[in-house]
Amino acid sequence: MNMETPVIELRHVDKHFGLLHVLKDISLKVYRGEVVVILGPSGSGKSTLCRTVNRLETIDSGEILIDGEPMPAEGRKLASLRAKIGMVFQSFNLFAHMTILDNLTLAPVDVLRIGKKEARMEAMRLLERVGVADQARKVPAQLSGGQQQRAAIARALAMRPEAILFDEPTSALDPEMISEVLNVMTSLASDGMTMLIVTHEMNFARKVADRVIFMDDGMIVEESDPEAFFLHPQSERARDFLNAVHSH
Amino acid sequence: MKQTSIRDLLYETPGPAARKKIRVWTGVALAAIAALIALIVRQFAETGQLAERYWSFFAKATTWRFLGQGLLTTLEAALTGAAIAFALGFTLMRGKLRRNRILRGISTALIEFTRGVPTLLFIYFFFLVVPQMGWKLSAFWKITLPCAISACGVVAEALRAGVNAVPKGQTEAALSLGMTETRLFYRVVFPQAIRFVIPSLIAELVIVLKDTTFAYVVTCADLMQNAKVLISNYDAMLSVYLVVAVIYILINYLLNKLSDVLAVRLHSPAERSAAA
Repeated sequence: MNMETPVIELRHVDKHFGLLHVLKDISLKVYRGEVVVILGPSGSGKSTLCRTVNRLETIDSGEILIDGEPMPAEGRKLASLRAKIGMVFQSFNLFAHMTILDNLTLAPVDVLRIGKKEARMEAMRLLERVGVADQARKVPAQLSGGQQQRAAIARALAMRPEAILFDEPTSALDPEMISEVLNVMTSLASDGMTMLIVTHEMNFARKVADRVIFMDDGMIVEESDPEAFFLHPQSERARDFLNAVHSH
Repeated sequence: MKQTSIRDLLYETPGPAARKKIRVWTGVALAAIAALIALIVRQFAETGQLAERYWSFFAKATTWRFLGQGLLTTLEAALTGAAIAFALGFTLMRGKLRRNRILRGISTALIEFTRGVPTLLFIYFFFLVVPQMGWKLSAFWKITLPCAISACGVVAEALRAGVNAVPKGQTEAALSLGMTETRLFYRVVFPQAIRFVIPSLIAELVIVLKDTTFAYVVTCADLMQNAKVLISNYDAMLSVYLVVAVIYILINYLLNKLSDVLAVRLHSPAERSAAA
């Protein structure tokens, strides 16, 4: 039994969209250095789950804890807990009116009160790491999707987060750009970054995940290590899902 | 930077037959316009409007200095009014986007009120009512303030449209980085919103400038008021109005050109160099 405090913990989280019950009694722990991948058919609630962690979606009941601290509903405390958890979006969401470099320095200067010069040096180091340092002076619209997503990952890293949420980070990308983003994520994982990833990339999940969570119809149906999940799924629904994914 | 024009969006590129048709109709239209102008000039000549006494005073420097002073006041009133309208409009827009129901209600009511009341009524209010309340204003402010108030609701709505046009993901990204709602509004949302609505704001500036022609009501010596003085001095209505109209058209044309330039300029330097 793991006695340390999880970086991310959800306790009996419920959420409705109107009449739709999208999250049903979700409990989940992500420990430091762990890579947890959430799989499931579309509409299963996995993106919503990911977005509730930093309260981009509110919840109806239950509790969300970051480093053992409950996520408040508003105010500076909420902002400072959000700052600890990075997020990478399906549609990148880089700030359209700023250069890539400014995208990376805005929050560290504004939120963490890091000096401009230091923030810029750190930003360049991170852009180097994800392979888009030569694009630093351009605006997002001038970059390819893959470059934008790698820059977005660097932007999340610039906040020195304790964990990063990935909400279908490759779903909006052309096939040839998917691997460049997955490579960056793989290297982050091997560097020990705590990650919660929603994805449809099965091979990537199998390779990188410490733990796989399979969701369907708003519930966590299965939770196991990747080999066990992909080779011997326990539930009927997981078997159907894997068959559907692998049949082509 | 090549701007995509409305024409490109609405019509496909014309083929040979269409091009021929366009040429023919362009010729017809030009001929019609020339005929119209000729007709107007002939009517002027027949009714004696081209007589020297209606035009000779435009050769005097004093005439132009007088009109120039008026023009300066007009521009001053329009720009001051527009600046005040922007400040008020921004405040109302922020109020209308608040979650607080009372603030939102008050802002919405003020926006609808200022949009619904004609400028002239505001001017009469400042001209007739305000002095009675013991508030002494110069003629300049009696025209500038009502013009500003009359425009601020429209400015508020234009700004709000711009804010709503900024994709939600921009806000979410800023929130996920730990920015507070106020900070992210000023750093992320508003800088993008303002770019979307520059053309609407310039259009509103043109309206403010045209509204200042009501200055004669409060006898503020703007371009229009000075034109009226010239008219009564020289007993020459048509020629003066014609010249003043051309001046107004020129200024508003320049403002609209400015809007086009700004639309390109406000894209970031990198974006511009990429498009060039």
